[in-house]
Amino acid sequence: MSAVSLALWTVRFLVVALVVAGTIGTILKDRYTTAQWFEFVLFGLTIGSLYAQVALGYTMVYGVLRLINFAHGDIMMCGAFAGYFVATPLENSGFLEVHPVLGMTAILAAGMVVSGVIAVLTERIAYRPFRRVQGFAPLICAFGVSFFLEQTFRGLFGSSVKSYPAPKWEGVEFHWAGLSVPGVDVLVIVLAVAFMAVLYLIVQKTRMGMAMRAVSEDGEAAALMGVDVGKVIVFTFALGGAMAGIAGVFYAFLFKQVYFYMGFTPGIKAFGGAVLGGIGSVPGAMLGGFFLGLVESVGPSLFLDGIGIKAPYELRDVIAYTLMILVLVFRPQGILGEHMAKKRA
Amino acid sequence: MALLELSDVQVFYDKIEALKGISLSVEAGRIATLVGANGAGKSTTLRAVSGLIHPRAGTIRYDGTTLAGRQPHEITAMGLVQVPEGRRIFGRLTVEENLAMGAFTRHDRRGIAEDRERLLQLFPRLRERLRQVAGTLSGGEQQMVATARALMARPSMLLMDEPSMGLAPMLVEQVFETIRTINADGVTILLVEQNALMALSIADHGYVLESGRIVLSGPGRDLLDDERVRHAYLG
Ligand SMILES: Nc1ncnc2c1ncn2[C@@H]1O[C@H](COP(=O)(O)OP(=O)(O)OP(=O)(O)O)[C@@H](O)[C@H]1O
Ligand SMILES: [Mg+2]
Repeated sequence: MSAVSLALWTVRFLVVALVVAGTIGTILKDRYTTAQWFEFVLFGLTIGSLYAQVALGYTMVYGVLRLINFAHGDIMMCGAFAGYFVATPLENSGFLEVHPVLGMTAILAAGMVVSGVIAVLTERIAYRPFRRVQGFAPLICAFGVSFFLEQTFRGLFGSSVKSYPAPKWEGVEFHWAGLSVPGVDVLVIVLAVAFMAVLYLIVQKTRMGMAMRAVSEDGEAAALMGVDVGKVIVFTFALGGAMAGIAGVFYAFLFKQVYFYMGFTPGIKAFGGAVLGGIGSVPGAMLGGFFLGLVESVGPSLFLDGIGIKAPYELRDVIAYTLMILVLVFRPQGILGEHMAKKRA
Repeated sequence: MALLELSDVQVFYDKIEALKGISLSVEAGRIATLVGANGAGKSTTLRAVSGLIHPRAGTIRYDGTTLAGRQPHEITAMGLVQVPEGRRIFGRLTVEENLAMGAFTRHDRRGIAEDRERLLQLFPRLRERLRQVAGTLSGGEQQMVATARALMARPSMLLMDEPSMGLAPMLVEQVFETIRTINADGVTILLVEQNALMALSIADHGYVLESGRIVLSGPGRDLLDDERVRHAYLG
């Protein structure tokens, strides 16, 4: 056994030991009630459903371009802002209170369209010139796009945190078997899953979706079949952008605020979800997003409380990033992914 | 009339001159073949025709129009379809989806369904495997998928890059038999092969490529009898 693999096994062992010890400790301490655990899980699924939606954009763009669209989190932010500018007047005029369905439809549509259009524009302006360029240039360009979007929104709308409208119906809670279920969580999860199901059907059943899968596998062969690869790439950005826009609106609703930098953290987390599920894999991105959300929400109390950490919830980002790093080290192809090397074989 | 005509085509990969000005023509309804050793520039020629790479000089005309500046998908839509080297089927798509990809440029549902049926008769093995992911097929079956996929475009001309590569001798026979059948249905064929014996024996016209230059050409039969060809390629 080489020194490297010995070290890796030690890390594996330590992580597993930590998780097991923490879990046992937490169970022994019995600090949390069932209702609290339920709350952790539900919130994990809620935030996870948003990570999953954003992760889809990373994974699909990676599929067709082999590019990490680092600006994707910021594209989500654009959608959240668009939703904000529609939601605020709707709320102020009282429309959103009286017509929640119509109001939400308009807000989501605004988020979807704006994010979709901005995603397509970034492709056209920033990524297309790099399509045949090898190496790191396209990735660095993606960083540039990310900064550009953030600073543009900061310049246009200020760097203050704006509070998102909170219509009264949003505070509805369901009660069930002694547990209270926030209505927003249910709304977000159900709609996110519905939108993802639609996206999945588009990818699996439509002509464009099939072309997208073909391009992901072998762009040149797809071109030889008569596929306009450029069009497929635009379609991919539009689809991923729209999905991120929806997620942006939900994210803002959940945390009740928008600001220019809000896309960064969920963007990184969603990227982590995409890597976790196996970048390039559509079901993988959904699975990875949910998994990351759950671990981040349940993990702190479950693993960290038991080993005596004072404020475990403050460490949830640490857990999320640790999980990402562990995946990169031990299973770079992710849960559902295949080895990059094999792909071309 | 020549359906495909290359004149003085030069292709560079950076500073490497892969094609040093080649001219060839393929008559409508015929089988032409391009033979030559590894690295002679056979695939490069087909890639240039399909628009995957752009010649530095020379012209490529198909059905009377120049292909300069056209993109690969536009060339395919003109009915000039390539079965690339190494088959390049979509391994994660099902056999059915691979066939559907072949018909990507078409919109006549009825015609597509008919062609699919006809091809499944030509390759009955594929019918049993329609729902199977294509990457799990055997090499011979993958070649069938690649050929069937290209034919789903209802091409008027097919460019085939080493369709017999990596197949057992019996399957090689089958592949050449299929090529004859396709041609008999009216599809013009430009076949690239290392298996010069087989290729020249079914071709109406043959070209021998050596380091980016055409060094010999003539009716397939004549080339088979040619002393130099025999010496270099047929042992
Ligand atoms: N992408 C590339 N970059 C640089 N050089 C290349 C590239 N592709 C091919 N070449 C070179 O161009 C020449 C012709 O290659 P080509 O693939 O056309 O040969 P071939 O006749 O098809 O050979 P084979 O029978 O092995 O398939 C070779 O010398 C090859 O090394
Ligand atoms: Mg070749």
